[in-house]
Amino acid sequence: MLKTLRIQPNGGDGLRPAPVTIFVNGAPTTAYPGETVATALLAAGSARFRTTARGAPRAPVCNMGVCFECAVTVDGRPGTRSCMTLVADGMRIERS
Amino acid sequence: MTTEHNEDYDLLVVGAGPAGLGAALEAAARGLKVAVVDEQHAPGGQIFRQPPGSFKQPEGGAKLAYPFGRELLRRARADTRIAWHYGTMAWGVFRDPQQECLRLGVSKNDAGAMLNGRALLVATGAYDLPVAFPGWTLPGVMSAGGVQTLLKSQFLRPGSRFVLAGSHPLLLLVADLLLTSGAEVAEVAFARPRPAIGELLRGWRAVPGHLGLMLQAARAAWNLKRHGVPLRFGSMIKAASGADAVDGATMVDVDRDWRPLPGTERHVEADTLVIGYGLLASTELARQAGCAVDYKPDEGGWIVRRDATMRSSVDGVWVAGEPGGVGGAELAHLEGRLAALDIARTLAAPGQRPGDDELDAVQRAIRKAHRFSDVVRDFFAPNMAALARLASGDTLVCRCEEVSAAEVRDFLDRNPHVSDVNSVKLACRTGMGMCQGRYCQHTTAQMLSEATGKPVDCLGHHTARAPVKPVSVISLAQLQDTLR
Ligand SMILES: Cc1cc2nc3c(=O)[nH]c(=O)nc-3n(C[C@H](O)[C@H](O)[C@H](O)COP(=O)(O)OP(=O)(O)OC[C@H]3O[C@@H](n4cnc5c(N)ncnc54)[C@H](O)[C@@H]3O)c2cc1C
Ligand code: FES
Repeated sequence: MLKTLRIQPNGGDGLRPAPVTIFVNGAPTTAYPGETVATALLAAGSARFRTTARGAPRAPVCNMGVCFECAVTVDGRPGTRSCMTLVADGMRIERS
Repeated sequence: MTTEHNEDYDLLVVGAGPAGLGAALEAAARGLKVAVVDEQHAPGGQIFRQPPGSFKQPEGGAKLAYPFGRELLRRARADTRIAWHYGTMAWGVFRDPQQECLRLGVSKNDAGAMLNGRALLVATGAYDLPVAFPGWTLPGVMSAGGVQTLLKSQFLRPGSRFVLAGSHPLLLLVADLLLTSGAEVAEVAFARPRPAIGELLRGWRAVPGHLGLMLQAARAAWNLKRHGVPLRFGSMIKAASGADAVDGATMVDVDRDWRPLPGTERHVEADTLVIGYGLLASTELARQAGCAVDYKPDEGGWIVRRDATMRSSVDGVWVAGEPGGVGGAELAHLEGRLAALDIARTLAAPGQRPGDDELDAVQRAIRKAHRFSDVVRDFFAPNMAALARLASGDTLVCRCEEVSAAEVRDFLDRNPHVSDVNSVKLACRTGMGMCQGRYCQHTTAQMLSEATGKPVDCLGHHTARAPVKPVSVISLAQLQDTLR
């Protein structure tokens, strides 16, 4: 079940611009310019953003760049805070 | 591409929240050359975080509770005198003895630069107080600020059934936003006892000028009632359950000192657990610059010491807003303006220097804003000792380096002479990871305090070193004298 939801505060749609495609672990995924990578991943139903050395799953906590739990690899740059990074068309994201 | 070298500023501002914006606009109006650095992609800081420009703007948001917010953002967006550097992180403050200026190390994606300034204002705000309880590292446990900013600036609801636990008024606003978004809110639990009428009346005396905010909170409480959401007092988080993600929370009733009452545990199903027990001042950059700090748990932990015009103990460094004590947007904004006026007193051209009367007026307004924020603070102060006792043996204290409470307690048992948090850091690795101790320092300090019987302010704080946030080697390798 998809628990996370993009909401429409105006009731209708038309809030978001035309979507772009990003690739999450190789799979094409829809995102909207202006969204952060964390938003796009959460909206796509990701519960696990990274896996710790001991194998535990982690996901965003603070959404403001402080906790580093949302770190993923973006276009080859590991350790990128997804909550502070904006999506771009064709962006490649690796969750671990 | 050409680069301008050694571009000098009169004032460098870190943080584009109410404090930093207030300062930058005031200083620019006095003819100072100002640069503002913020790692977010737009002005506003935490409270006035806006939807991205690419979204059609809906009405509403926290700015309605603070009418000055809308105007502040409009002025900031329109001001072309100021060099705005968004998406840019400040990671270190250095001194250039030859040029008699401060140098701010900044990085943006893979580019790095040093900005030179005659004065520096640290306006880095605050972040949610992390609370280490069993299960707190599970995906689905989020801070109140995290959930709020996802909802109000990204229009994303990170779950469908929520439990909110804490002691901070922010929790009410988040619950309200969640209900409005169609989420199911299973309960909102405040750790403090239900306020007595006398207490509420005392609070109201401080309200004039903050009516918007009080109404917002009252409306939120009413909305909870209308939706039949239980608003509990004297109830605290005990644990989060789940395998790969949260599936529920165990709550426990507590006494006045937030001590659990045996046999009162309740399990509540939820896919997202929202934690809001307070805020910690974001002082890493100020501490790295050498600013003296004092421990004031109800104002955000270790906060930067300042004089009556927001000067820190370090020459050339001023601090405004929450790194100097958590007190709300209005206060932060006034403090930023006051710091800018004081800076302009020495750096502005003689005809543009502010008079004492201008500083007096802002200082009076600050005293008034304090009346409100002090009441709010007393009312919602977190009980740090009680929160630190939540960690069971295998609860991770340090999320980054995966150090458990048992490992820290063991070390303290074996080394009874240890009496500062940096020794715990060196031996146990708490605070050595990506977040640089932001998420474990206060829990470690409380555990050390419990073990030694000494108060937290005698146990020191983590040494803040550059870079205060991890920065890529590529951007350091490409370090240049200014941002392109
Ligand atoms: C998540 C969150 C939500 C909040 N919501 C509310 C609310 O709804 N209502 C309310 O009354 N109060 C709220 N508060 C309290 C709020 O912090 C203050 O009222 C007000 O925002 C403080 O203003 P400030 O300018 O001191 O800091 P902030 O507004 O926090 O601004 C600080 C800025 O500094 C930037 N920054 C920090 N470190 C660096 C660095 N190293 N490099 C570059 N940039 C950096 C941050 O990105 C941020 O934009 C909230 C606090 C938080 C943390
Ligand atoms: S969610 Fe905390 S750093 Fe991104």
